[in-house]
Amino acid sequence: LVERNVTPLWPPTGIAVAAFLIWGRFVWPGVALAALAVNLPISTNFLAAAATAVGNTLAPLVAATLLARVGFHRQMDRLRDAMAIVFLGALASMLISASVGAWTLVLSGSIPARMFPAAWAVWWTGDAMGVLVVTPVLLTLWRPRSGGSTSRRLEAIALFVLLTVLSLWVMNTRLQLMFLVVPFLGWAAWRFQQRGAAPAALLVAGIASWSAAHGMGTFRTGTLFEKMVTLQAFNATVAFSSSVFAALVSERARDREALETSAAELEARVQRRTSELSAANEQLHRDIVERIETSRKLRQQETALAEAQQVGQIGSWEWLIPENRVVWSDEMYRIHGYRPQEFPLTFERAVELVVEEDLARIRTNMEVALGSGRDMDLPSIEYRIVRPDGEERRLLGVARLRVGADGAPVRMVGTVQDVTEERKAEREHRIAETLQRSFLPDRLPEIPGVALAARYVPASSDMEVGGDWYDVIPLPSGQIGLAIGDVAGHGLRAASTMGQLRMALRAYAFEEGSPTRVVARVRHLVRQSPAPEMATLIYLLYDPESGIIRFANAGHPPPLIVSEAAGAAYLEGALSPPLGTLADPGGIIEVTRELPFGSTLLLYTDGLVEHRGSSIRDGLDRLKAMAAQAPKDPESLCDHLLSSMVGDQGADDIALLVVKPEPLAGAPLRLLLPAEPSVLAPLRQTVRRWLREIGAPPGVANEILVACGEACANVIQHAYGGREGVLDVELSVLDGTVEVIVRDEGSWRPSVGTDRGRGQQLMGGFMDTVSVETNRHGSSVRMRRRVGSGAHR
Amino acid sequence: MSEMARIEAEQRGTLSFLRVRGEIDISNDEQVLKTMEAAIPNDTTRIVVDLTETTYLDSAGLALLLRLAERLQNRRQRMSLVVPTGSPVRSVLELTGLPRWISMYDGLDDSLAEGEA
Repeated sequence: LVERNVTPLWPPTGIAVAAFLIWGRFVWPGVALAALAVNLPISTNFLAAAATAVGNTLAPLVAATLLARVGFHRQMDRLRDAMAIVFLGALASMLISASVGAWTLVLSGSIPARMFPAAWAVWWTGDAMGVLVVTPVLLTLWRPRSGGSTSRRLEAIALFVLLTVLSLWVMNTRLQLMFLVVPFLGWAAWRFQQRGAAPAALLVAGIASWSAAHGMGTFRTGTLFEKMVTLQAFNATVAFSSSVFAALVSERARDREALETSAAELEARVQRRTSELSAANEQLHRDIVERIETSRKLRQQETALAEAQQVGQIGSWEWLIPENRVVWSDEMYRIHGYRPQEFPLTFERAVELVVEEDLARIRTNMEVALGSGRDMDLPSIEYRIVRPDGEERRLLGVARLRVGADGAPVRMVGTVQDVTEERKAEREHRIAETLQRSFLPDRLPEIPGVALAARYVPASSDMEVGGDWYDVIPLPSGQIGLAIGDVAGHGLRAASTMGQLRMALRAYAFEEGSPTRVVARVRHLVRQSPAPEMATLIYLLYDPESGIIRFANAGHPPPLIVSEAAGAAYLEGALSPPLGTLADPGGIIEVTRELPFGSTLLLYTDGLVEHRGSSIRDGLDRLKAMAAQAPKDPESLCDHLLSSMVGDQGADDIALLVVKPEPLAGAPLRLLLPAEPSVLAPLRQTVRRWLREIGAPPGVANEILVACGEACANVIQHAYGGREGVLDVELSVLDGTVEVIVRDEGSWRPSVGTDRGRGQQLMGGFMDTVSVETNRHGSSVRMRRRVGSGAHR
Repeated sequence: MSEMARIEAEQRGTLSFLRVRGEIDISNDEQVLKTMEAAIPNDTTRIVVDLTETTYLDSAGLALLLRLAERLQNRRQRMSLVVPTGSPVRSVLELTGLPRWISMYDGLDDSLAEGEA
C-alpha cells in the first residue's frame, strides 16, 4: 500500500514471534536471516534490507521476551494471554520494527520524509496485524492435533468453507456487510477456541487485506488512508475479538473443567468422607450396642448379686472414708431390719445398732487397720446387732481397707453375713450331739465270758444328729439286757426322745423279767407322751450262763446270729409294731433262742442296711453275706461291717452292737469290780460258769461260790467304811485245786458279831485252806479247795 | 426274772407258805426279810419257808432266816424250812448248824407231816 514496502498485514513478523515463542530466543539468527532474505528483494539496497531485518528481528524478540515475562500461555487459553499478545506482543513490540522500518525507508530514500508518519503507521499496523493474525494460528497449530471426532472435523470444514465464502462475498459486495463474519468468528471461537478462532481470523483478515489491496467491494471507494483505517480496524477487531473470545471460551471451559474436576474431587472427597463417616457411625453403633449389652449384663449381674446376697443373707458395704459416706447393699439394710436404701449412711449411723462391747472390738480392729497406712484385710469378726424392733442378730463381718498413694485411707469394703440361724443351728447341733453321746454308754461293761463291741457312727451330714442308740445292762440276776433302738427324725428332739427311752428301758429292765413286758412298758410310756415319736426297739435278755436269749422286737430290723456251724441267720419273729404307732398289741410276743459258744449276736440300726438306690431286703441279704465272711472277733467284726457296708457316705447314723460268748475255761479269772453289793450277783454268775467250765462238781462249785461270796461281801461291807473302793477277785486252778483270792485296798477289820462269824465259818468250812494277809495297801484273803481229778489241769 | 429273789406267799388256813426263788445276799437280804414278814399274817401259827428254788444263800441269808425265826418265835409263830437234799443252800445251812434252831425238812410233805404230828 505504501510504495509496496509496507503491507497492511505482515505475516513474517507473526511467524517470527511464533518461532521465538515455540523454540526460544536462540533462534534469532534464523529469524534475522529470514527477515533479511524477505526484505532484500523489496529493499532499495542491502543496508536498508539489513536495517529492516534488524528491526524485524528485534521486534519479535522483544515481543517474545515480554510475553515470557508475563507468563504467556502458548495455547492462549486465558483472557490475559489474549490481552498480552494484543497489547505486548503486537501493539507494543511492533513499535520497534515500525520505527526502524519507517526510518530505514526514509533514510534509504525510498520514501520522502513527509511520508514517514504514514509509512510508520502502516508498518506498525502491518506488523501488529501479522502478530495478531498469524502468531495465534501458528501457536495453536503447532501443538499436535488431538484427534477430534469426525463430526467436529466436518463442522470445522463447514465452518471454514462458509466463512471463506461469506468473507469473499462481503468483501466483494458493495454493501457494507463485513460485520456478518462476526457470528462465524464467534462460532469458531466458541466451538474450537484458538484452534478455530485463530485460523478463522487469519482467513478473514487475509481475505479482507487481499480485497483492500485490490480495491474490491467495500474498498472500491475512499482514499488509501480511509481504506487503510477501515481494513486495519476490521482486521484488528477480527483478530482481537476472535482471540479474546476464544481465550474467554477457553478460560470458561477450563474454569468449568476445573470446576467439574473440583466438583468431582469434592464429590469423591465427600464420598470418602461419607464412607468414613458411615464406618465411624457403624463403629459407634457397635459400640453403643456393646455398651448396652455390657450394661444389661452388669444389671443382670447386679440383680444376680442382689439375689445371691438375699439368699445367702450376705450384705455388702463400702465406706468412702474421706467423705465419711457409707453405701450399703439392699441386703445390708434388710439384715439390719430396715427397708432397702431407706436412708443414706455415715460410719456412725452404720454401726449404731451394734452391741456396745462388740462395737468396741470393731473400732479397735478398724483403728489398727486405718493406722497401718497400707492395704489390708481386717480380721473377720462376729458381732451382734439389735434391730430397731429389738431382735438380736449375730453377724459375721469381713472387711478390706484400701489406701491411697500417700497411705491415707481411701475406702473400706466388706461383707456382712447374718449367721444367727447358723449359730443357733450349730448350738442345737452341739447340744443334740452332746445329748446323743451322753446317752450312749461311755464304755461297755466288762462281763467275763462275754465279748462285747459297739459302734456309733453319726450321719455324714454335719447338721443331723440321729436318734440311734444302744445299751448294755448287766442285771442283778446275772443276765445281760441288750437294747438297740432308733428314734425317727433327727436333731435335738430325736436325741432327747432317745435319751428318755433309754432311761425308761433301763428302769423297766431292772423291774421286769420278760423282754415282752419291758418293751410293752416302753411302748406305753411313748404313748403317754403328748407328741409320740415313732421309734423302733429290740430288747434282748441274754443269760451268759445258759446261753439262752429271749427278745422282743418293736419294728426294728432283726438281730443276726452268725454261727460257725450254721452260718448267718436272722432272728425273725417276736415282732410287734414300732413304738408310737399302735396300741400295745397285747399277748406275749417273745422268742427264745440259744446263743452257743462260737456264735455271735449282731444288733444294728437301719443305717447299716439301708442305702439309697437299693431295697432294705438287699441290704439285709448283703449284711448276712458280709457277716458270714467277716472276722469273728467282735471289734474287728464291727470295723469290717462298717467299712464294707457303709463306706464313707453314710446318709443315716448307725448303731452297732456285737455280743459273743467266750469260754472262760482254764484261764485264770480276774475281776475288778466296784465294791458294792450289786456286783455280787453278776460276779456269782461268772464264777459259776468258770467253775462249771473247769469241771468242778456242782456241790463243790457251790461251796466255793459261797466262800468266795462271803469274802467279797466282807470286803464290800467293811473294807472301805462306806467309801468307794475296788473289789479284786481272782480264781485260778492248778493241779485240781482251785485258788480264790479276794483283795481290797482298804483296811481290814476283823469281823465282829455272829453274821461275820458265820461268814468265816462258811469260808473255813467249805475251803481247804483260808489265809488272810493284811498290809498297809490293803488285805487279801487266799482260799484253796481241791476239786478233784475232774478239774482241768 | 431280773429281781434276784422273789417271794411267793400262800395262805392255807393257819399255815403260811412262803416260797423263796432266786438268790439272797447282802444286796437284797433286808428287802427279802421285809417282804417275807409282810407276807405273814398275824393269825398264822405255822410258817413254812420253801428254799427249794433258792439258788444262793450265804451268811446274810442265814442271818435273815434266824432273825425271821426269832421274830416269829416272839409272836408265837413257828417257822420251818424246806431244803431238799442236793440243794445248793443245804450245805450252807448244815455247816452253820442252823437246823439246831430251825427245823428243816427235805420236802414240803415232811414239813407238813411234822407240823401235824
